[in-house]
Amino acid sequence: MCAVPLSEEQLWEVSADFVADGLDRNERVLYFDDGTADGVLGRLSDDHVAFERPLRTGQLAIVPAEATRAIFHTALPEARAMMLDHIDGSTAAGYAGFRMTGQMSHGVDRQWPATFVEYDRELDGLVRERGITALCLYDRRRYSDEQIERMRDVHRKELSVPTAYDDGLLRVVRTGPTSARLAGEVDHSNRPAIARLLETTLDDALRSHSAPTDIELNLASLRFIDVASAVSLVHAAEGFPDTHRLVLTDVRQGVLRVLDRCGAPFAAQLTVREFVGAADAGLRGPGPVVGSGRHAAGPGATNGVRPEGPAGNGSGYPDLREAR
Amino acid sequence: MRVETTRTAAPVRLQHACAVYASSADLVAQAAPVVAEAARRGEAVVLSVRPETEARLRDAAGSARVVALVPGNPARSSGQTTAARLARELRELTSHSGAVLAVSEHDSALDGIDGRYWTELDAAVNVALTDLPVSMFCFYPELPLHSEILDGAIANHPLLFEAGRLHTNADHRPPRDVLAGMPAAPPVLLGAPDLDMVFSAWQLHEVRAAVSDLASATAFDTARSEDVVLAVNEIATNAVEHGSGEARIALWIAGDGLVAEIHDTGESLAEPLPGLRAPHPADPRGRGVWIARQLCDVLHVWRDHSGTHVRMHAAP
Repeated sequence: MCAVPLSEEQLWEVSADFVADGLDRNERVLYFDDGTADGVLGRLSDDHVAFERPLRTGQLAIVPAEATRAIFHTALPEARAMMLDHIDGSTAAGYAGFRMTGQMSHGVDRQWPATFVEYDRELDGLVRERGITALCLYDRRRYSDEQIERMRDVHRKELSVPTAYDDGLLRVVRTGPTSARLAGEVDHSNRPAIARLLETTLDDALRSHSAPTDIELNLASLRFIDVASAVSLVHAAEGFPDTHRLVLTDVRQGVLRVLDRCGAPFAAQLTVREFVGAADAGLRGPGPVVGSGRHAAGPGATNGVRPEGPAGNGSGYPDLREAR
Repeated sequence: MRVETTRTAAPVRLQHACAVYASSADLVAQAAPVVAEAARRGEAVVLSVRPETEARLRDAAGSARVVALVPGNPARSSGQTTAARLARELRELTSHSGAVLAVSEHDSALDGIDGRYWTELDAAVNVALTDLPVSMFCFYPELPLHSEILDGAIANHPLLFEAGRLHTNADHRPPRDVLAGMPAAPPVLLGAPDLDMVFSAWQLHEVRAAVSDLASATAFDTARSEDVVLAVNEIATNAVEHGSGEARIALWIAGDGLVAEIHDTGESLAEPLPGLRAPHPADPRGRGVWIARQLCDVLHVWRDHSGTHVRMHAAP
């Protein structure tokens, strides 16, 4: 299958989902890196996916950029043999399956179109014969429109990811009737998008009796918010009807500090929950068993739970939620 | 760094008085009774004076709490920065201890080329400390090297302290008028920047990336680096929001931190010294510059015919 991401954020989102699915199913996951692995791993940790241990055990493996590029300089039968080795190896190691994804754009620069398409056909053969899963990503930064259309045609399935807003800097995905997830950065250039999102979401919530009364924005992947945008979130919450709340979840430390300075602790209808990393976020930490992806951890294990103690969050900043 | 917001609407006001001294002994003779009286009322005393003066005034304060302010760096003297720092420290102190007496003494090391540092400082104090329960006595020499210093002091202080008594100053003028006659000076020129770029509102993320790259390449930790990126972003946002839509940023990285200069060609803002007054929680505007001032070690705004300019310095 293939996907055509609109932005780097979406590329990381789609890839991280694909990797996490594989880990969940106890499959072996191979990621062919070419400058995108860091973003995907960052997104996995935003998603509370425990990937450190799978990385250590080899369930998740990242092929370095040089090796990824070298594939396109390898003869086709050799490349096929290498892939078969990987597939047989993962069966022998007891994994339930094999999947691969990554950044293959090097091949397009070198060998468009004949060889690139040939490699893809070979891979497609493996998918059919051996039941492996492969996700190919064709984003507009690395591929031309013509290349994207051509590659779309040779794939049987295209993942379409619902997008509420994506300008390349900020990506918004609706995750429920009154919830959304933000990824990227909010500043002067895209601040109105946030205001519109809040307005329409609140409107939806008010019009439906069955809709939740919490408007929830997940900010795990929001890396920057400027002062005026933070103020507008605080003011929006203050303008909500008494029955409704704005809940910001998985808020990063940097974003939390901005919200704190913009009056978030004093807004009665605003709840801010800080991001708490996955259990094995540190390399030395105890890892969960192989195959425990995001579903095994569950939202209750990480969301809304923070270390107790009088020292606040340990960074010298006051505990935001004590103020409520 | 914790940044406080205004929470009270109580009509407290700054008392800002100017006094003139003939000699160091004269200064102490005038100030000591004021300090002793404040100590009797249980007020804390803040001193920004020369070491000899400080020792004598500490004696006068007796058992009262005395806080001595560390003098600013003459090479980076910026009256508005000193006022913002003073406001930050006094805001914290007054929130714990109530009313505070502050005594400052002129220091010619900060005069710069024409002494306008002092005029800028006093004008900025009038703006930044306006809602604080502070009595501030500023002592100036009878004959400063630059006569503009006394002219500025007379214009800036609503009160005069003469012969042990406070009385209203008929020549007092509001900060905006004073600064119109003597605007904030440009800072000392720096060498060629490490990075120089023109940006619009759609390139603010590139500005942030550049600052972040430079900051993380030096001694800034993650949190401090994020704070500096935020501070620069706010000033850069202002420049493209109020200016012509395009602005320029220059960045220097040095052993003692990061320097950023942002220039826009817009019409000058209504407020000559933005971001000095703590923003009201309900006010959607003006918070960005105020937060940037809290996060930077120096934030100096000046204007000339070509537009508005901001120099920021942030230590790790």
